[in-house]
Amino acid sequence: MRLIELDGVSFNFGSRQPWVFRDITFRLDSGSCHCITGPTGSGKSTLLQLLAGLQERPFEGGVFRRQGMLAGLVMQDPQVQLLRQTVGAEVAFALENLALTSEQMVPMVQRALRRVGLFVSLDCPINILSLGQKYRLMMAAQLVCNPQVLLLDEPWAQLDNLGVQELTMVIRGLVAEGIAVVMCEHNPAAFEEVVDHYWQLSDGVLMSGIYRTEKRIPLQAQAHSDDVIIEAEPFEYRFHGDAPLFACEQPLQVCAGELVTIYGNNGTGKSSLMKAIAGMQGNIAPLPLKVFGERPKVGHYGQRLGLLMQRPNRQLFENTVLDEVAFSLRRFGLPQEQAQALLEELGLGELAEQSPHKLSYGQQHLVALASLVCYQPQLLLLDDPLAGLDSEYFDRFCMMINRLRQQGTAVLLSSHRPLPHTPVSQQWQIADGLLLPSTCTQDAAYAY
Amino acid sequence: MPISHSSLLSSTPASIRSLWLSALAMLLALALSSAAFFAPTHFLPWLAGIELVLLVHGMLNQGKISGLVRYIVLQLLFTIVLYLAIHGGNKVSEGVLAVARILLAIVPGWWLTNTVSTEAIGAILGKMMPNKWAFVVVASINLLPYMANEVREIYQLQRLRGARIAPKQLLNPRNWGEFSYCVIFPLLIQLLKLARQTAVAAKARHFGYHAKRTLWPSQRSEHDN
Repeated sequence: MRLIELDGVSFNFGSRQPWVFRDITFRLDSGSCHCITGPTGSGKSTLLQLLAGLQERPFEGGVFRRQGMLAGLVMQDPQVQLLRQTVGAEVAFALENLALTSEQMVPMVQRALRRVGLFVSLDCPINILSLGQKYRLMMAAQLVCNPQVLLLDEPWAQLDNLGVQELTMVIRGLVAEGIAVVMCEHNPAAFEEVVDHYWQLSDGVLMSGIYRTEKRIPLQAQAHSDDVIIEAEPFEYRFHGDAPLFACEQPLQVCAGELVTIYGNNGTGKSSLMKAIAGMQGNIAPLPLKVFGERPKVGHYGQRLGLLMQRPNRQLFENTVLDEVAFSLRRFGLPQEQAQALLEELGLGELAEQSPHKLSYGQQHLVALASLVCYQPQLLLLDDPLAGLDSEYFDRFCMMINRLRQQGTAVLLSSHRPLPHTPVSQQWQIADGLLLPSTCTQDAAYAY
Repeated sequence: MPISHSSLLSSTPASIRSLWLSALAMLLALALSSAAFFAPTHFLPWLAGIELVLLVHGMLNQGKISGLVRYIVLQLLFTIVLYLAIHGGNKVSEGVLAVARILLAIVPGWWLTNTVSTEAIGAILGKMMPNKWAFVVVASINLLPYMANEVREIYQLQRLRGARIAPKQLLNPRNWGEFSYCVIFPLLIQLLKLARQTAVAAKARHFGYHAKRTLWPSQRSEHDN
């Protein structure tokens, strides 16, 4: 049964703006699962909003939507979609708007939570859920209305491997029930078990197939020195008044030039550990942790430490990209020419005079990273830096990391999952409340 | 079966008694906050006594006062520096009094958000104003903890980048511009983006479809949890 059809649809964000997509044709039938791929900033999220009927700007072309059809959209960042404080109230928000009685709401909310595998109390505060759990909560908040179409924006980036497996099962069940699913995804292989149509949206054109880029710069293996940058005795990571989040039963050490990955499921404590190393994490029991031989304290290390947190675009504030990248150089008294040189090296020279606030998500991500790389910190902490980035941006990311490590910078990088084909010197896995460090020998590292 | 937009049913109000109590709490908070600004100075100790009771009650309801204390200390510091710079040492007591009034105006709001659920506040506001306005107020209250966290993280990130905004550096008024440029400006941008995304998120869940919304029952039987 045909649910939505786009016939020659063109869209842009203003009469003088370039086309986001031009003359696209797309048909969505019940019980089908589509995956739209494409580079960062190509208009995938905009297309999902158009399919959901939430795009308020005018567009050209014909859009057919089955009468009375409900479409549910789960956007990329669950954090910005939360409207209430408890799980039950959040899921029930749509039911309140549809004016259902409170007696009807409770069983429907419970069923929706079961469908996405979220087994928590209805009164559970949302702020204690992990990012992956919040994404599933947002799915439940849509499924509670039993929509015929479910639209998912970048689920892989928000979920750990377990979350992806569970989501795959949920999608399979929904498709079997006749619900149509459309997702935008940078990693289409993650859902290949359930996807039956792949699309690529690039340069405003939507066509069949998977978007791939040929360019590929790997992270290089590097020899590292014996200069210790981070050292920690065995410890328990615990917030005041809470049970331990995780424990580390072995001492930890990171030396100059090392590349260390920290991986684990959503909510295991990766980001919290990163913040503790940078001295930013308050409200925790003291850790036997030393960075550059001292207890971590925010702002204490000056140009020796850089931290890129999730959603790095929130640290941008200057009027031009060049000023943004040069900001730390000015503050640390370093030559400002390094900023222009780095932008040229990254192929971002043409953006130098543009406002960082008008760039695409991927470009902002790179500018934020470049603003740290340019002052060449001895320790760089990257919290899930690859979320939502396509291969082209990944290449430039690798260029910057390779450049820093050649100069002896130690890099700690957190991720939901181990990075394949990456010559890391150590991997720290956080699972089942334990941080398990494993060292990769130099030979093994080069063998990737 | 999908829920049809036409399957309208009459709304069932949440516990009437709890709504009345919430409404009284809102009125009390509004009256006390207003009194903090309009009451004569000799009445302020009485007001402080009443608000001390609210403070204890809020803390018994798991309310945390650390943020409140930090804010008021910073406010006091800035105000004294400003008064010293503008008026010299003569009028510092007036500055302290102004900060005391601000504190007395904030405490009732802090108590209200710690003792009355935002759902209840939304339900009451929904009876007095259009649903869209009530939603905006409640969504703003819900976003406060998130925005507080954003301010903290942006502040720390900029300090790591070398911004001159450490507490000691902020004693120098010349660095206040850097604080607003590095922290407040990105925060405002985040707020604008968040407002737009929240609007899309609400619309994606049929907000505004009916003039009168029903309410999620915040009090239910135990087996419903």
